Amino acid sequence: MPEFTLRAFADQLVNGLVIGNIYALIAIGLALIFGVANLINFAHGSVYMIGAYVGWVCVTGLGWSLGPTFIVVAVVCGVLGVLIERFGLRRLQSEARIAPLLATIGISFALDQLVQLIFSPNPQSFPSPLPATRVMLGGVSIGALDALIAAITITIAAALFAFLRFTRLGWALRATAQDREAAQQMGVDVNAINALAFAVASVLGGIGGVMIGMYFTSVYPTMSYGAMVKGFAANLLGGLGSVPGAVIGGLLLGLIETFGVALFGSTYRNLFTFVILIGVLVLRPTGLFGAQRAMPPEPLTGTFVANSKPVRIPWFVAIGGLVAAALLPFISSNPYLLQIFTNAWLFAMLALSITLVTGTAGQMSLGQAGFLAIGGYASALLAMRLGWPLELSLLAGAAIAAALGTLLMWPVFRLRNQYVALATLGIGEVINQIILNWEGLTNGVLGLSNIPPLSLFGLPIVETAPIYWFALAMLVVAALFQWRLTQSHLGRTWRAMREDEVAARAFGVSLHRYKALAFIAGGLIAGLSGAFTAHMYSYINNETFAATTSILGLTMVILGGMGNMSGAVVGAIALTALPELFRPLADARYLLYGVVLLLLVRFRPQGLLGTV
Amino acid sequence: MNRLSRPFVAMRSSKLAIPGVLVGLAIAASACAVQPPPAANPPGQSAPAQPAASGEPIYIGVSGPLTGPNARYGVQWKKGFDLALDAINGKGGVRGRKLEYIFEDSQSDPKQSVVVAQKFVADPRIVIELGDFSSPASMAASPIYQRAGLVQFGFTNSHPDFTKGGDYMWSNSATQADLSPALAEFAHNTLGLNRLAVFYLNTDWGKATYDLFQQHAKKIGAEIVAAEAYLPDEKDFRSALTRVRDAKPDGIVLISYQADGAQIVQQLATTDLKVPIVGASSLHSPDFLRLGGAAVEGVYIRGQFSPEDPRPTVQAFVQAYRAKYNEEPDFFAAHAYDTMNIVAALIEVAGPDRRAIRDAFTQIKDVPSVIYGKVTFNPETRRVANPQFVDLIVKDGKFVTWDGSKQAGQ
Repeated sequence: MPEFTLRAFADQLVNGLVIGNIYALIAIGLALIFGVANLINFAHGSVYMIGAYVGWVCVTGLGWSLGPTFIVVAVVCGVLGVLIERFGLRRLQSEARIAPLLATIGISFALDQLVQLIFSPNPQSFPSPLPATRVMLGGVSIGALDALIAAITITIAAALFAFLRFTRLGWALRATAQDREAAQQMGVDVNAINALAFAVASVLGGIGGVMIGMYFTSVYPTMSYGAMVKGFAANLLGGLGSVPGAVIGGLLLGLIETFGVALFGSTYRNLFTFVILIGVLVLRPTGLFGAQRAMPPEPLTGTFVANSKPVRIPWFVAIGGLVAAALLPFISSNPYLLQIFTNAWLFAMLALSITLVTGTAGQMSLGQAGFLAIGGYASALLAMRLGWPLELSLLAGAAIAAALGTLLMWPVFRLRNQYVALATLGIGEVINQIILNWEGLTNGVLGLSNIPPLSLFGLPIVETAPIYWFALAMLVVAALFQWRLTQSHLGRTWRAMREDEVAARAFGVSLHRYKALAFIAGGLIAGLSGAFTAHMYSYINNETFAATTSILGLTMVILGGMGNMSGAVVGAIALTALPELFRPLADARYLLYGVVLLLLVRFRPQGLLGTV
Repeated sequence: MNRLSRPFVAMRSSKLAIPGVLVGLAIAASACAVQPPPAANPPGQSAPAQPAASGEPIYIGVSGPLTGPNARYGVQWKKGFDLALDAINGKGGVRGRKLEYIFEDSQSDPKQSVVVAQKFVADPRIVIELGDFSSPASMAASPIYQRAGLVQFGFTNSHPDFTKGGDYMWSNSATQADLSPALAEFAHNTLGLNRLAVFYLNTDWGKATYDLFQQHAKKIGAEIVAAEAYLPDEKDFRSALTRVRDAKPDGIVLISYQADGAQIVQQLATTDLKVPIVGASSLHSPDFLRLGGAAVEGVYIRGQFSPEDPRPTVQAFVQAYRAKYNEEPDFFAAHAYDTMNIVAALIEVAGPDRRAIRDAFTQIKDVPSVIYGKVTFNPETRRVANPQFVDLIVKDGKFVTWDGSKQAGQ
């Protein structure tokens, strides 16, 4: 470890504050939208990316100076924000809160792909038009861009503060955030306020995008996801929905990251950041600056579940579907088709585990891919290093995933609502980072190769059709197991907890234990899927079960209908098959995927098969 | 399109139709699968049809990223493939038939690359497969290709275990065993750098390169004063650079790809650390120049080909590339170009037969190559032996062969 000189400390302080300023801008936007619309806006990162591209076109393409560039970026992103709110989300307002969330995921997919189609996937060079000179201020070296970023963020934060504090429109916005219905009764046009929040947030996001483009001297279409995760983390640190909290959370996050890198090196950046974040949440479940005592949710409003009637699948249809699935290899021996469905069955298991934890028990999990990863690594390592037979290592992998994963998820049990979602996202990332960095056990980035193929009682299962049947059989067993659990006393307790935590506790339900049980049951199923996948692939590394897999799994669940087991399976089939169906469209296939997702939510907000 | 949209129209209409979704999707998917897949990217469209190349073309499957975070590499591949095919098909193709490739987008994601693999092995027209890009995606698909007896020619797969997946796994990617010592010797012996700070991409490629680099550097007497591993999505190197600066290196080594390498050099320019920078061959790309701008001036690269190399193979490639794409060729495109030529040589020997093509790897000798000079495969490792290296420097916004003089002021 290099010695920490005063000069190094001062330089790192500047590094951290500059990047923290940009995180703060993104976080303020997310906080505004969260406050007013009570929505985690996944499309915010895409707006930020579009802001960066618009800025790049103005500065590099048209040779404009920064002043008009910022104005154009603000106008374009502001309009985009209003359009997203008006056409993507407003119709969904009266629906379950989960529907707009899925809509923002769809919008984000479509926007990212659109930019990639227009500007190519190549990163574009975005040199800062400012002079590269640096001035020494009291022993600290500051560049012109650093100063500009700080000045803009401070100006924006001050202007926003004045707007929220001293203008009638600002009051209306705060009133809507505090209590939507009350504000409406007082004559506030909450829809206009909603649009306003999206506009302001998008302007800030876009300006943040331009600045980061110049700071990193490049823009690229996939920059949205990382920025969004950082924005969420900053929000969580400061307290969800709190604007001053977002500013301080952003700055703190920048400093934590920078000093984390300074102490441990770049590869530990995310590990260090998320461990600190989760540590803060354990001590202060509502973030550093969130309301000290979170208001307990009003009965039946604190959940993600809509009041709708799920589609009842008659028993003969279910059996018929199962028989058809089992006979598929006889109908078509096309291995391409069988592989798509094998993947679908494996993802259906992930979706089942998410629908159990999120739909039935009400703990929105964005970290479920962590269970896949633990299951996969555990089973592969047991089979490779200890020579366990496959049937044992698969089961042990599932058990280890359930036990270890639940243990790691423990800090989440204290949290409520959206905090759970974002904290589980962080824990998923931590699991991924541990796999990356614990080289002695996992072989780090080089991964595990030559994992023994699937077999059952000594019979190798290597052909496509037997693998298909094996996956289908596992899915059926997992589904029966989950069906039994959700129909029992345990399932009723989970649902009681989901509907109203306070009431459940008043009836003597130990919340932590029942949350743990949900994660264990879900972890078993996801772990088994991960273990199977590892042996089917024969090679895994830290990228195999990437964090985005969790979001894909959640998308399947929302699409099928929260808490609805057949919905999870249908969602998994749809989202595995759609990108394959769209193959003839080549580059544009994920654009269409996003649009289809959006349309499905628009016309079926409670999920295809309805929420249970 | 009608076929695609039908299930979703049904979905909306009534609850009873919902179970139909499952069936509908299944039917649509199988319809899609059973139809002969259209050649998504017919290559060499602009090339004039030659009378000599007639009959049904011979098809090559390519599995790689065209969307998602690695899409830019897939785009470079296509440029290299198309260029090679222009020449091959212009001369009448192989065995009197045109060569064409079918590029299926996998996003370099294992769950898609296995599906693509099944699609290719089931398509009797495909005689050999190229790719995928990343190790998780490539090696997850290997068991499928091995079982079906279709060669998986993983031309970017430097992972030491890739060709151990089976006797149908071949690669013409230089392994780190060749690349890393060459890089260390260039930095220490040729440029006389003793205190090295290394940035390396924390992927299987970067990590393996760094491990061997570090061993060899120690052996020849160079000291590594700082080693910074970073993840592929890293953009903010300022904190790491401050660390590196305080370690007082006299040279910086980049085991990076083009975009992240350019980013490091750009951000390095904002610090007051001014030392020579040496990069691996992967930086040899116009993207590195475009993204790095003035900051990359004077960066040394231990490249695998020089655009000024007088060899006819290199000149033919470089001239044609400039003429067709109006830009400088890069390492990935050169590699794709070489690969397509090797494939043509294989099919020339073996004919369009999957098993014969595997056997042909040991039969082809001294195939002309931009990167290797001549390619001959080692039947034991199923890789190419003895790649060559050439020292490049960035001068006036171009890669030129380094003339041996040190940069003024460094």
